[in-house]
Amino acid sequence: MPVLKPIFQLDDFSFRFPESAQPTLHTITLAIYPQERLVITGPSGCGKSTLLYVLNRLYPHNCDGEVSGNVRIFGRISQEYEPGEANRHVATVFQDPDSQFCMPTVEEELAFTLENLQVPREEMPKRIDRILRMTGLDDIRHGVIQNFSGGMKQRIATACALIMEPDCLLLDEPLAHLDPLTAKEFVAWLGQLQQQSGLAIVAVEHKLELWGEFFDREVSLSENGAIQKDQAYTRRNAPFLPKRETAKQPKVLFEARDVSITRASKALLRGASLQLYEGEVMVIAGPNGSGKSTLLKALCGIMKRDSGMISGEFAGFVPQSPEQLFLSKTVEEELSYSGNSSPHDVKDLLEALALNPIAQDHPFSVSHGQKRRVAIGAMLADRRQVLLLDEPTAGQDLKALMELHHQITSRAQDGCALIVVTHDMNFALSIADTICLMKDGRLSAPLEPQELFSSPALLAEHRLYWPEKEESYATSFT
Amino acid sequence: MRRLLHEMNPSLKFLAVTACMLALAFFFNPWTPLMFFLGIVLVQLLFSQTNWKLWSLVMLPFVFGAFGYFWTTLVFGESGDGPVLWTIGMIEITAQKWEHAWSLSLRVLAFSSISLLFAFTTDPVRFIQSLMQQGKLSPKLAFSVLISYQFLPVLKTEFEQLQQAHRLRGPGAKPTPFKRITALRRLLIPLLAGAVRKAERAAFAMEARAFTGAARSHYREIKLGHKDYALLGMFSLVLALSCSAVFWT
Repeated sequence: MPVLKPIFQLDDFSFRFPESAQPTLHTITLAIYPQERLVITGPSGCGKSTLLYVLNRLYPHNCDGEVSGNVRIFGRISQEYEPGEANRHVATVFQDPDSQFCMPTVEEELAFTLENLQVPREEMPKRIDRILRMTGLDDIRHGVIQNFSGGMKQRIATACALIMEPDCLLLDEPLAHLDPLTAKEFVAWLGQLQQQSGLAIVAVEHKLELWGEFFDREVSLSENGAIQKDQAYTRRNAPFLPKRETAKQPKVLFEARDVSITRASKALLRGASLQLYEGEVMVIAGPNGSGKSTLLKALCGIMKRDSGMISGEFAGFVPQSPEQLFLSKTVEEELSYSGNSSPHDVKDLLEALALNPIAQDHPFSVSHGQKRRVAIGAMLADRRQVLLLDEPTAGQDLKALMELHHQITSRAQDGCALIVVTHDMNFALSIADTICLMKDGRLSAPLEPQELFSSPALLAEHRLYWPEKEESYATSFT
Repeated sequence: MRRLLHEMNPSLKFLAVTACMLALAFFFNPWTPLMFFLGIVLVQLLFSQTNWKLWSLVMLPFVFGAFGYFWTTLVFGESGDGPVLWTIGMIEITAQKWEHAWSLSLRVLAFSSISLLFAFTTDPVRFIQSLMQQGKLSPKLAFSVLISYQFLPVLKTEFEQLQQAHRLRGPGAKPTPFKRITALRRLLIPLLAGAVRKAERAAFAMEARAFTGAARSHYREIKLGHKDYALLGMFSLVLALSCSAVFWT
């Protein structure tokens, strides 16, 4: 077998952003070969995405980063390429499905790539036909991209990358915004494409349990941006999360009955009812677009309901991006904003949520986990004892999940009631007292987590997936 | 026939519309804008598939504007020496005032009709593509416009989400009118910060797909042919006929 030339060759490569004191990537030596399926792992903020951006030459070109050592792409030093030149052979799919398109329809978006490559007009229809067939997207050729779901958008983005006929495909947490079954389907689809085209795949990911056996090599980065391990990939199960002791009390804290919302003659919620007890943690799960966020917004009153009634304690809402709630210049002011809590109570809350060290910081400048704690604190200070958390697990690494777990446990022990919307069934199982499923605006009756665990049909119907029980039903659904 | 205006080369259409507006600015009699307005509506009736209900709705504010001009000119306009036609209360309406009032308000209608014709019959994406192909607009500029066009709905959802989240926080301890205005600033800063982040991501995504702003081929060719020149001729005819009002009134 002939020795393959590496696509990427990094020698003793270090990289530092101009605004930070420490290098983000630290003396990295790495070679990536054709047809490899490689995953880059590591804790949040360790420089995984930065490494990916170095490979596709977006960095250091676009950020004035300080560089030492060498990156060779196809044997040629990265700096010698013109902007965009290396990208003809190295394609990328990004994390956010909403900000990687610039044309309205799928066909035009595919053509955009070909226009960049200056492919003659006569040749374009052929290549577009071929890629649509290969990716199974024939039916949506003239579809408007903005109307598709996140999973479909990621497929379209992948098709747009593959139409370049690249030698390597880079993926930056492509599953972060997808529901679990959609994610599984995407992985299976990508595997087939890779076999057909023989390109190399380099992905950045921390939710490995969704990828099954996909990869064959793993490079893990440590906190300081150096390579910790470079080894053969082994299939991962979902990380172990401790089961929470229930803190449920017999007192009903919050009740909603027959809540319905219709907007633009589309029923978003159809008669949703639920009851929350003091100290209860309820998980709501279901496919993208089933009305979960709408339900939370209706429960806390920021979306007007057309019918139904809500009684009990006020509900507070923590959006997926908690900074959406912030109105003040310091964390402390943020908590005392509403004026519903005395300065003494605010002090107690800062203490309980471990916010004292950052009490005088700007709420936008703290870490993501801290932002969520500030948002929870603000809700509690507004005298909202029922907390509604929208997708707090999306895109979070294990450390962040543990912190969230701890946070939910302590709040439940303090007598709050919580509703957590999540796709992560492993996480759901570890924290939930009850699980409600949602589909097409309908909310199921509360289920015991074990009940759901033993009902694959119910899981598949709601596009959920229990990571430990691989394959058995996920494939039958697609 | 009914698709002709929609299919017209957008750059040429833009040129025609701009030229008409510039030319109209030099005519100060009421008949020119009136004839032009009627002519343009007729052209749009014959050669386009317009949703006239929507058209009337969009036209409504312009009609109010036109009436505003008409009325304020009658009340506050310069009287001149001409004969007084009527007297309403304190206001003497002279022939000159009467003509000026009509002229100003019909001008508003003429300008809005031609603008609406362009807006109702032009696909923005095609317009930009045409500017790139016929107008030699730089691809960097063209695609920044196209991509912001894609972002509008995304920004709108984001704005709504922010508004909802802030509604939950309530008006704060002591809501004063001044505080309400500063609250708007609180909405705008996170919205703009989000937009900057999104713009950076979009720029990365484009470069990652080998977009450099250099010369490119075009998948959808925006043609420039006989039909387009014929339509240009028709616009010129409408304009010329309306302008000729100077000679026969």
